[in-house]
Amino acid sequence: MLYVTFIDPSENEIEANFEPGDSLLQAAVHAGVDGILAECGGGCSCATCHVILSSAWAGTLEPPGPQEADMLTFAVDPTPQSRLACQVQLKTEHNGLTLNVAKRQY
Amino acid sequence: MILGIVGAGQAACTLILELIRGNFRGQVLIFNGEAIPPYQRPPLSKDWLQNPSRDRLNLLPKIIEQDSRITWISRTVTSIDPGRGTIRTRDTAHTVDHIILATGTRAKKLEIPGLSAQQNVSLRTLNDAENLRLNLAQASTINIVGAGFLAFELAASLSKFGITVRILAKGPRALPQVGLDTAEYLSSRSDALIMTETRLIKFDRKAQSLLSNQGPISCDLVITAIGSEPNIELAEASGLATTSGIPVDVNMQTNHPRVSAIGEVAEYHHTLIGKKLRIESIAQANETACILATHLLEQQSVRHKIPWFWSNQGSEKLQIAGFSERSDDSFLLMDKPHQRVVLRHKDGRVTAVEAINAAREYMAARRLFESNEKSISLNTVQQAGSIFSLLQSSSS
Ligand SMILES: Cc1cc2nc3c(=O)[nH]c(=O)nc-3n(C[C@H](O)[C@H](O)[C@H](O)COP(=O)(O)OP(=O)(O)OC[C@H]3O[C@@H](n4cnc5c(N)ncnc54)[C@H](O)[C@@H]3O)c2cc1C
Ligand code: FES
Repeated sequence: MLYVTFIDPSENEIEANFEPGDSLLQAAVHAGVDGILAECGGGCSCATCHVILSSAWAGTLEPPGPQEADMLTFAVDPTPQSRLACQVQLKTEHNGLTLNVAKRQY
Repeated sequence: MILGIVGAGQAACTLILELIRGNFRGQVLIFNGEAIPPYQRPPLSKDWLQNPSRDRLNLLPKIIEQDSRITWISRTVTSIDPGRGTIRTRDTAHTVDHIILATGTRAKKLEIPGLSAQQNVSLRTLNDAENLRLNLAQASTINIVGAGFLAFELAASLSKFGITVRILAKGPRALPQVGLDTAEYLSSRSDALIMTETRLIKFDRKAQSLLSNQGPISCDLVITAIGSEPNIELAEASGLATTSGIPVDVNMQTNHPRVSAIGEVAEYHHTLIGKKLRIESIAQANETACILATHLLEQQSVRHKIPWFWSNQGSEKLQIAGFSERSDDSFLLMDKPHQRVVLRHKDGRVTAVEAINAAREYMAARRLFESNEKSISLNTVQQAGSIFSLLQSSSS
């Protein structure tokens, strides 16, 4: 089974299973990860599904597209490793990826 | 919401911890009147004297202490103005939305004629405790004035240093806070010599002894542990109601809606006891802080938002911020290849922003609509040329 690990705002580590093609948001929602609001349900229109890629995995995802990048400037304290979980499509090679859920979504 | 917390003790730190855990979205200014980071007091009279490490006393984890929502101000607050929401120190003034008094108590002092301040100490702060430790090397006999918990705890710790300790009670018995049985048992287990009905007259410097109604009592050092007084002066001077503390309602609010009080200084109606109480304990500090945190977080959970909407139509992503009527006018603000921004407006105010493939403009509009200004003037956006640059100039 493929999985990614989320570290929620209270520092709990949650392993979330995924199928290739799932978004990070879908994986997080299925695993019941805390701290992701996703107010627009994955529409790249709210910036409340903000996650931060752990440094060990930096550069392993395709960079955000222009819409996502624009939305990310409105996330709370974005970093170069910030992503919107709803915009990241998972592939087999992302097995084991680790992400921090942003401490706050707004 | 900007909170100003006066005092950085147990109650203040629990409040901060609860706010951060509860996803607090405002800012906190915390005024620390002591020159060191917040610490726990209880160990000071217990095992700390034997094992005096500062780190062990830390009240807040570093990650909370360094949270970007918290600003530490190492100054004593000299006055507050509830009406204006002003908090003043000797040389600074700060305006906040809500003031929280968490000023705690201070040790009651006892003047004993002839006894110098160096030989008459008390224990409330880490500074007091460090001073006391320095004094221990020269002390072989210590008299503790007062016979409460603090006196008994100190007596037990000091005996471990080979010091002879006496506990001097003014009244007929020790530990009046507990029943007679319990007090007698604890007295029998104490290493100290307990003297009741003891009235002190003065200190005889030559003989290095305390003169009392029970005759002279020799000693090198006197520790006064006769209880504490609440720090209510700021509240009094600002016109807030005070009693033996600062009375508050079920949400820890004082008689002024802009001021709350928590911790030992607060006198509140304890639901389970059915009485107004001001208890000096960690439990009271934490409970009052948690009640206030819940109240403040509930207030923020009502977050008013303007309507927003999006629609994906093939490669076109439409995002709308705001709410317009059909009759509202339109103004084309941005017209680039694949990117359009239309302002809907009425009476010179922008009612909605329709953005196509222009997420930044749409989010900037949401932020501006939800900011304090609430309405956006058509003119200003036209002059700025883009909503995003208007947002940047208004927030810098
Ligand atoms: C030696 C000792 C042992 C104790 N042992 C126990 C125990 O075993 N069990 C128990 O339940 N309780 C114990 N307590 C009591 C407990 O520590 C207190 O109940 C608790 O600290 C109260 O919390 P607080 O936040 O109300 O006040 P505090 O922790 O006293 O904090 C108040 C802070 O406000 C600051 N302040 C006041 N005025 C201003 C101003 N104008 N500007 C800026 N800052 C200001 C003070 O300097 C202080 O740092 C003990 C206390 C002491 C001193
Ligand atoms: S869920 Fe709204 S932007 Fe990702």
